[in-house]
Amino acid sequence: MKKYVIILPTLLFLLVFFLLPIFLIMVESVYQPQKGWVINKYVQFFTQRVSRVAYTRSLTISLLVTVVSLAIGYPSALAIVNIANDSLKSLLMTLVVFPLMTNSVARTFSWLAVLGREGLINNLLISLKLIDSPKRLLYTPGAVFFGLLQLFLPLMVISLVSALENLPKEVPLAAKSLGANALNLFTKIYIPLTVEGIVAGSTLVFTGCITAYVTPAVLGGSRVLMLSTLLYQKTSVTLDWSMATVIAVVMFVTTLAVNYLSRKISSLGVSKQ
Amino acid sequence: MKINRWLVFCLIIVFAILLGPFLVIFFASFEPSSTLRFPPTGFTLSWFKKVIAMPMFQKSFIFSLQLALYSSFLSLLLGVPVAYITARYNFKGKRLIELVTTLPVIIPGMVAGLALLRFFVLLNIFSVQATLLIGHTAIVLPYVVRSTLASLVNLPFSIEEAAQSLGAHPLKSFFLVVLPNIRVGIISAFIMTFITSFNNVPISLFLTGPGVSTLPIVMMTYMEYYYNPSIAALSTLLIGATLVVVLLVQKIFGISKLL
Repeated sequence: MKKYVIILPTLLFLLVFFLLPIFLIMVESVYQPQKGWVINKYVQFFTQRVSRVAYTRSLTISLLVTVVSLAIGYPSALAIVNIANDSLKSLLMTLVVFPLMTNSVARTFSWLAVLGREGLINNLLISLKLIDSPKRLLYTPGAVFFGLLQLFLPLMVISLVSALENLPKEVPLAAKSLGANALNLFTKIYIPLTVEGIVAGSTLVFTGCITAYVTPAVLGGSRVLMLSTLLYQKTSVTLDWSMATVIAVVMFVTTLAVNYLSRKISSLGVSKQ
Repeated sequence: MKINRWLVFCLIIVFAILLGPFLVIFFASFEPSSTLRFPPTGFTLSWFKKVIAMPMFQKSFIFSLQLALYSSFLSLLLGVPVAYITARYNFKGKRLIELVTTLPVIIPGMVAGLALLRFFVLLNIFSVQATLLIGHTAIVLPYVVRSTLASLVNLPFSIEEAAQSLGAHPLKSFFLVVLPNIRVGIISAFIMTFITSFNNVPISLFLTGPGVSTLPIVMMTYMEYYYNPSIAALSTLLIGATLVVVLLVQKIFGISKLL
């Protein structure tokens, strides 16, 4: 028993200094001592156009980023795993991890030079005579989409690479020798055997997108309000604290629900095998 | 095994999205005029000089470094014992402890930042600096536990028992036998927590007061008012520094240790 004492400070630290305040704002969003139960802000959140649009936009863009990162991440992970040269493989993995470690403000700012009025894309399109004047590419859902894709692709690729490395090399070889074509190999061997990696990667990307702040703030601005930027606006511009708390709770519950769902899907996949 | 052309095509697209913008911002930071432009119309290093000399960036850079250093140390101090106890012993409530120490990863940073602001700063319980330290330490703690655990599971319990049966005090055997053997896990945890804290925005966003601000937040604020290549130069410096760290880690421990 004596030994367990050394983890008490950690537990106290997390419970009192971190989890308690979060628990309290969640309680405060539905119950206040002076007023009793207060759900009017939740009703407001789901009925007001601004917040409803921001929420559905967050969900849609996050889903889109997840699907696209899976679609281009899976083949890339497969390519990386099949590289025979170990030092090349390790270099590629390092280059996948590198953006993940980079400051998100610097990462997102890079897109301003790509998508800005005098950025790469506009200047390229003008010099190819496809357009005559710069198009507004920034502060659009598309800009937020690409920013988030760059931000979270590494998480998808890393999850898939580790899932594929756990798959014995003999399995796809055996399937091939038994006459499986590329499509069969993909749908009957690779996907079912890497379900956990797919679900884990998708969960990380989706929840990351829902909660990301810098990218929607810099590339979307107030034209493309998302859940996170709306939350910040409520605390800094309109000073509507109770609404900010409600948005924070909606954000948290959404990520919890996604995590719960993915655990369910993952365990279904395992029990099937 | 021959790699399909289609797979290589996807790999190239992935790397273009991941690294392309970094190349663009690198060249854009040498633009002589005061607009962000690619391709640049000339070459100057003046934005680099300007941004390094700006007091607001200097001050917040130093503050971010200190905060990252303190929160990394504190998280190691709090995280390593948890990893050690959960790796060595089976007991009731172990699952609960694992849950509590992984929760900070699941909780969105903005939610935590808002809660800490509401209950600590606005109620005057802690200063802004102390609250920042609490928030940053909590969100990096799970990395410490995970990374240390990964090193501990490869370490046989018997070498520690051997030291203790030869008369070493449990504390002595921990510091002289266990710690040196899990140093790679500890060092990679430190690098990971340092970088994570230094780069954090969601928690710091709410917790900046007069005179107290981290570098990423100051950059965000500056970007709202000025659209010139100075942030491009600063971004290039940060991206370059990260690349150096990541390549060093890969050379010394292998990159998988960071994940």
